[in-house]
Amino acid sequence: MLKMTHLSKVYRTEVVETYALRDFNIDVKEGEFVAVTGPSGSGKTTFLTIAGLLETFTGGEYLLDGTDVSGLNDNARSKIRNEKIGFIFQAFNLIPDLNVHDNVEVPLRYRGMKAAERKQRIMDALERVGLASRAKHYPAELSGGQQQRVAIARALAGSPRLLLADEPTGNLDTQMARSVLELLEDIHREGATIVMVTHDPELAARAQRNVHIIDGQEVDLAEEPRFHADPSAAGSMA
Amino acid sequence: MNIRPIFSSLRKHRIPTTLIVLEIALACAVLCNAVFMIGQRIGDIRLPNAIDQAGISVVTVQGTDPDHARDVIARNLATLRAIPGVQAVALMNTVPLSQNGWNTGFTTDPATKGFDDKYVNVAEYLITSGGDKALGLHLFRGRFFHADEYAAGTLGTSFMPTGHAAVITRSFAARMWPGHSALGKVLYMGDTYSYTVVGIVDNVLRPNRNGGDARSFSHSVFLPVAPVESAMNDYIVRSAPVDRDRVLRASIDKLSKLEPAAVVKGRTFSDIRNAYFADTRSMAWMLVLVCAVMIAVTAFGIVGLSSFWVGQRRRQIGIRRAVGATRGHILRYFQTENFLISSLGVALGMILAYGANLYLMQHYEMARMPWYFLPIGALTLWLIGQFSVLGPALRASNVPPVVATRSV
Repeated sequence: MLKMTHLSKVYRTEVVETYALRDFNIDVKEGEFVAVTGPSGSGKTTFLTIAGLLETFTGGEYLLDGTDVSGLNDNARSKIRNEKIGFIFQAFNLIPDLNVHDNVEVPLRYRGMKAAERKQRIMDALERVGLASRAKHYPAELSGGQQQRVAIARALAGSPRLLLADEPTGNLDTQMARSVLELLEDIHREGATIVMVTHDPELAARAQRNVHIIDGQEVDLAEEPRFHADPSAAGSMA
Repeated sequence: MNIRPIFSSLRKHRIPTTLIVLEIALACAVLCNAVFMIGQRIGDIRLPNAIDQAGISVVTVQGTDPDHARDVIARNLATLRAIPGVQAVALMNTVPLSQNGWNTGFTTDPATKGFDDKYVNVAEYLITSGGDKALGLHLFRGRFFHADEYAAGTLGTSFMPTGHAAVITRSFAARMWPGHSALGKVLYMGDTYSYTVVGIVDNVLRPNRNGGDARSFSHSVFLPVAPVESAMNDYIVRSAPVDRDRVLRASIDKLSKLEPAAVVKGRTFSDIRNAYFADTRSMAWMLVLVCAVMIAVTAFGIVGLSSFWVGQRRRQIGIRRAVGATRGHILRYFQTENFLISSLGVALGMILAYGANLYLMQHYEMARMPWYFLPIGALTLWLIGQFSVLGPALRASNVPPVVATRSV
């Protein structure tokens, strides 16, 4: 489903080159629930933005659902994001001017879907996350957990092949975090492929498999116990 | 088209949306009326005037001794005719657009007593022999005056000539006898004066508008008089346009030497016309300036608000891009949003424009604005809106999707 080989991402200024990802490799199979962990600045978010085609990469190869995405233009990348990827962000990233229904509808409109199908998918997604009764509410009228559920409904409504979650419980209290995580587990059990970036060990433990990133590279913690002991000593990557 | 969510979003920003809608509405109302007024003024400036405007000079002699007017006028006419390049010369009481109005009223009914609604106000041009050639009048029907008709014309105390022939303009003929030929018909002024129409000429403007509309601006009557009246002091000197300025200088010079005690002034007809329409031209330019300012203020208002919204919604744009919006989607979003705002503005603006026109009609004698000014105004505002929003919308479309993952 998601395969990166020798992938690198370099941020260049006039005086310095900074590697956010270096010779990075990952292979996520269809239906897997993978947690990507690492300390702050290790390159987790960079990995997620590249995986979600929000950013381009500098070198290496990235196959998404069997498609080499390196040569795709902006429109093609937008189409893949819209049809194959669902995003769940730490800050929910709902559009404050739109109500719950319209927020969930946003990606479906960009797909050019007919109104009747959109309506059906929106209601299905909202029922799936338990917020069908809040369709007319605005994000500001919802709790953090409810907002994240709306974001999950938005991600699910388009029936994506891949769900990318960036610290999905990072802005939630423990109880809300637990319910959101249970929802993600339910979604995974129904067959979705989920890649979740987190620095929360408890959250990572709920995934099928963990991938650790340190200094922009995938690391096997069993072979690198020093990182396990003191994650804060693991470089200063942006 | 994402109209409903855009409306939903605009409802969340009522104050700036309302302000820009009002700005567009005001611009629409002002533009429609201002452009209409500019059109009217340009129409005035370009009003046809069927005389040789490029070849005529007017030399005005004031201070001629009335007791010797006959001799002085004859001498002056002969002197002017002798200037090389002069094609024709005549004496008139006034000339078109000179602001020196000689107005009278005529009726077709000899039984009409006093000046009432049956009288039609008209400019009275008294001309001496050769006046048709000096002015370069275009005969449409009938004939110009015979020599005996000129000789029979002298002015009484009412400044109406004693002759009985008249040449009138087409607009005046149509006004007096609509649908019928004016030739042979008689114009009456009370039971004292009557003039038979012997010729009809293409429209010649009056000395001034005299409060009438564009059509009545060409209501003129030419009456023949003998060259004996000191009340007539405008010498019409016609030459080829290339000779005009030289002929005018020579005319002023020679008449000044002949009559040192008189005040002799001269102007080309082009100068007279330019002077007459100077205020009209200034008003037209001022209205153009008003239009330009309104367009600029509206455009900058839209650019400013759109730029502010793009900056304010940068993260929102990133989110939209992240969930699949292409650059084209973002561009169209802002264009559609502007179109909706502009549509509200022009809908209100057309009502305002119509109301403003009614007000101006009632209080400032403005004509009714044709209906098509409203959709043209609306289309203009839509185009201004789309043009103005293009820059901010393009900037918005260049917001990268990765912005969605950033906290600021």
